[in-house]
Amino acid sequence: MRKVLAEVGLAVGLAVIQAALLRTLGGGRYPVALALPVVVWLGLKAATAEGAVGAAAIGWVLDALSGAPPGLHAFLSVLLFLGSRLAGTLLDVGGRATFGLACGAGTFLLGLGAMLLWRATPQAAAPGWPVLARVLLEAALTALAAPAIRALLVRIDRLVEPEETGLLG
Amino acid sequence: MLELLKRYRELIVVAVLLMLPLGVFFAHVRTPGERTAVDRAVLAATRPVEKLVGWGVAGTLRAWDRYVALRHAREEAWQLRQRVERLELERLRWEQIQAENQRLVRLLDFASASPERAFLGARVVGVQLDPKGLQLVTIDRGAADGVRRMMPVVTAQGVVGRVHGVTAGTADVLLLVDRNSAVAARVERSRARATVRGLGGPDLCRLDYALRADDLIEGDALVTSGTDGVFPRGLPLGKVTHLRRQPYGLYQTAEVTPAVDPAKLEEVLVVTSSEVPPQQAPAAQASQGTR
Repeated sequence: MRKVLAEVGLAVGLAVIQAALLRTLGGGRYPVALALPVVVWLGLKAATAEGAVGAAAIGWVLDALSGAPPGLHAFLSVLLFLGSRLAGTLLDVGGRATFGLACGAGTFLLGLGAMLLWRATPQAAAPGWPVLARVLLEAALTALAAPAIRALLVRIDRLVEPEETGLLG
Repeated sequence: MLELLKRYRELIVVAVLLMLPLGVFFAHVRTPGERTAVDRAVLAATRPVEKLVGWGVAGTLRAWDRYVALRHAREEAWQLRQRVERLELERLRWEQIQAENQRLVRLLDFASASPERAFLGARVVGVQLDPKGLQLVTIDRGAADGVRRMMPVVTAQGVVGRVHGVTAGTADVLLLVDRNSAVAARVERSRARATVRGLGGPDLCRLDYALRADDLIEGDALVTSGTDGVFPRGLPLGKVTHLRRQPYGLYQTAEVTPAVDPAKLEEVLVVTSSEVPPQQAPAAQASQGTR
């Protein structure tokens, strides 16, 4: 539980830093989703209930930061968590490169899902298809940033719950 | 029932976490008229959480913005301080140029007022006011510019001294205050004659050979008499101070405060000739020579 809390804390911190940085650097010219690798990590490492709660919490923060209607990212984060869990059982995404690829794919699917959900509503402010190019860019940049975030997560995991020495250790 | 809940706890949690945000999302995107009672309940339940998260995020962003703004303010303050220092240096430079310009204008006026003489402008490049040695200044004009030994050197304020030694590019000027200097003088008011002699100090001379019967009072202005064969007549030398008239003897003595402070000299005029050919305009010549 402590591990999930620390990881969610990191995700919130990353999301806030990202929002602040993008605002400072000029209105999100370079979209990136720094919190999503944490959701993927939760999907790979955390228990189902704890991980799902953590993913939903991260989604709520993303909703608040992005100005999207509340619930959109929370729902999609839980969905991404489940998808990562499934991917973790079917594929080996534990390495840095594969984790980055998984994060990129997850970011793209989450962006696509957000667009589809938006378009399913009667709101006129729903984003159009040209935004898809930005979603792709966001996925690519997130995939690039994911290995560094993974390293942070590994360090946090070791800090919060150090591995116990076994009989042979 | 409890057993069932425990058994499917994870499934239920995930389902709730999927359905609840989705419900909130659709409740939010609906217009208020389309919202059902369930929508309104969901919104009411999630509003405090939203507010809390929004408050936390906005607070963090505000703090970040303030930090960034502060950082920029510090950089800006640093840049402005640099600029102020640069401008201050530039202001000082302009002030120096202005002061130099005023001094040169005074020199030019002085040269223009004496058309019978030819002047050569020079800049003081060295000062030697050692009480144990000669009281000299070095100027940046020498034999190559037509400067010769014994030529008088003046400013608009008065006599500086005479050329003592010359090299090709520079010349040493023996100052009026040097103990080897002696200039034939006249009291401007009474036309009484005397000699002004240096004492070796930077700001004091002595008045010699003033007859006891001559009309002389403290504060009298002294000018060159032109009888020593070096200095043209009428150039200011200084003012009489501490006049001492004994009841006996031939002469009275006094101290003289020189008209020119040698410590503050920057530009001078060398009197190259007391008479110039009529076709050569003295003022123009002086303006060419003055730098």
